[in-house]
Amino acid sequence: MEMELKVNQDNCLGCGVCVVACPVNASISNEVAGGHGSKTTETIMMVENGFIKLFSPEKCTKCGTCQLFCPTDAIWLE
Amino acid sequence: MPKHIVSGLKYLTAVELIRDGYSQKEVAKILEMDRSTVSHYLNGRNLSWNSIEIAKIITEFCPKDFLILTYALMQEKARIVVKTCSNSKYKGKIKESCIGCGLCADICLMKAIVLNDLKAQIDSNWCCGCLICGESCPTNSIEILEVK
Amino acid sequence: MMISNTKEVQALDFEISRSAEEKRELLYKDDICIGCGICEKTCPVDAIELGSIGAIVRTGADVPKIVCDEDKCVLCGMCSVVCPVDALEFKIDDESIKDMDEYPQLINSAEINDDTCIYCKACETACPRDSITIARNLPDRSKLVTGEIDIDKETCIDCGICEEMCPADAITIEHKLPTPDDPTVSSDIIVDKDKCVYCLICKKSCPVSAIKAACRSCSYGEYDLNPEDTVTTGSSFIDHETCVKCGWCQEICPVDAATVVKTFKGELHIDQDTCQACGACVDICPCNVLSFPQSTVPGKSPEKVMSDENYCIYCGACDNVCPVKAIEVKRTDINHTPTKSKSWEKQIDSLKT
Repeated sequence: MEMELKVNQDNCLGCGVCVVACPVNASISNEVAGGHGSKTTETIMMVENGFIKLFSPEKCTKCGTCQLFCPTDAIWLE
Repeated sequence: MPKHIVSGLKYLTAVELIRDGYSQKEVAKILEMDRSTVSHYLNGRNLSWNSIEIAKIITEFCPKDFLILTYALMQEKARIVVKTCSNSKYKGKIKESCIGCGLCADICLMKAIVLNDLKAQIDSNWCCGCLICGESCPTNSIEILEVK
Repeated sequence: MMISNTKEVQALDFEISRSAEEKRELLYKDDICIGCGICEKTCPVDAIELGSIGAIVRTGADVPKIVCDEDKCVLCGMCSVVCPVDALEFKIDDESIKDMDEYPQLINSAEINDDTCIYCKACETACPRDSITIARNLPDRSKLVTGEIDIDKETCIDCGICEEMCPADAITIEHKLPTPDDPTVSSDIIVDKDKCVYCLICKKSCPVSAIKAACRSCSYGEYDLNPEDTVTTGSSFIDHETCVKCGWCQEICPVDAATVVKTFKGELHIDQDTCQACGACVDICPCNVLSFPQSTVPGKSPEKVMSDENYCIYCGACDNVCPVKAIEVKRTDINHTPTKSKSWEKQIDSLKT
């Protein structure tokens, strides 16, 4: 019954709000949370080539913050 | 065939009960038979020796098999048969880890277990040593000991 | 030899039962559950799993906060006893274990003293669970004022100025169109003496001085007034099914009419450096303990998340949901009735952290 982090790249604007808002991302890398970090696979997700991509989804604690901030339903928990 | 085996089991039980001092009338009431049938059995009539032999073999199964087979044959009436014809007496010890869930009380075919203050209590008079309660206990809190 | 449980699911609620020597039933109500996970911690057979409560509560996902595996559950009733909000009810042969002495109970309560309560409704507004309803009957306005008023209908020109100015809507003019046989613009002017407060505004504003009125409150007021007529009466009701005994009513009541007894004593620690202000804890807390403080002085940032332990029930839901482990909830004492069972005492004691 565990919920899972899901992304829909068709909806994604690549705005990066989820990346910045994610508290786990912020605790892993201040630069990523500040919106200008270099690419790392340690964070849960990052924008790559204009679309959101999940790198370490196993670190997700399902708090729902990304889903609340995403303007286009491109990332959610199900 | 099954009803002949049941007759055999009832015969063995009647013999034990008489030996324990019960009257024929009391035995008839306990086994839900006519008093006259009890008398016939005790005098070797209306019963084949083969049935009695098979019944004797069943009483010598391990307690779990004895109980399960007799219960399949006689349902609730099996209790008094198993109690009376058991070769040994058993004592149940319940550990402090018992959580009073009642699974053992529900599952015990001999109805030997009750809950008291959230802890199981096993009645030695009725425990037949089948160990079914111990197998189903979620906290492994039951120990059944044979009393010599 | 198997006695199996049956499970019935209705929306997000479930009922697990087993019928043999006794009938045992476990009933779960999801809208009462606060996601504290105490049931999951306590279950001796690990039958209960706490869901992703952050996502469930914040995004409104149609998923229950806990799931109980009916094949593992042995219907011992422990989860029901330790649930701090009674989201899990346990019955044996249709009787709740709350009515059985051998089962321990958590001790908690919330009460409003009807003798002290002044029906100000602060508790009703403050209650984070909307559990409180205050009904009140206001005193009769006419009994709290004293005076005289009389409108001279001969002098009155039906201009309607008094009707418009009256702050209590006590004056009514029956306006009408004039006809040759009755060339007047109103048929009557009426003062509702139940509404009139003798403020004399009508008298002062009447352009033709048609109103005679006097207020006696200052000179007579205290003598005319019956103290019983000034009292607001009413009743209070706390829905104990949804009440979580947070203590908001107790803290906010201006006359100390509300008394709350809490089950857990404990401590709440927030590591402001680790906190990323995602708001999951603020959203999950059933007791309005946590909030994002507003900055009052520019350039001076307040704490990221602030807490007031007066309202905390130490359920630990915030501790569960925090994605970066910035919140820690410790329980140091559990108020409960005794039980003779050592295993039950041990499980309840293990709630201390």
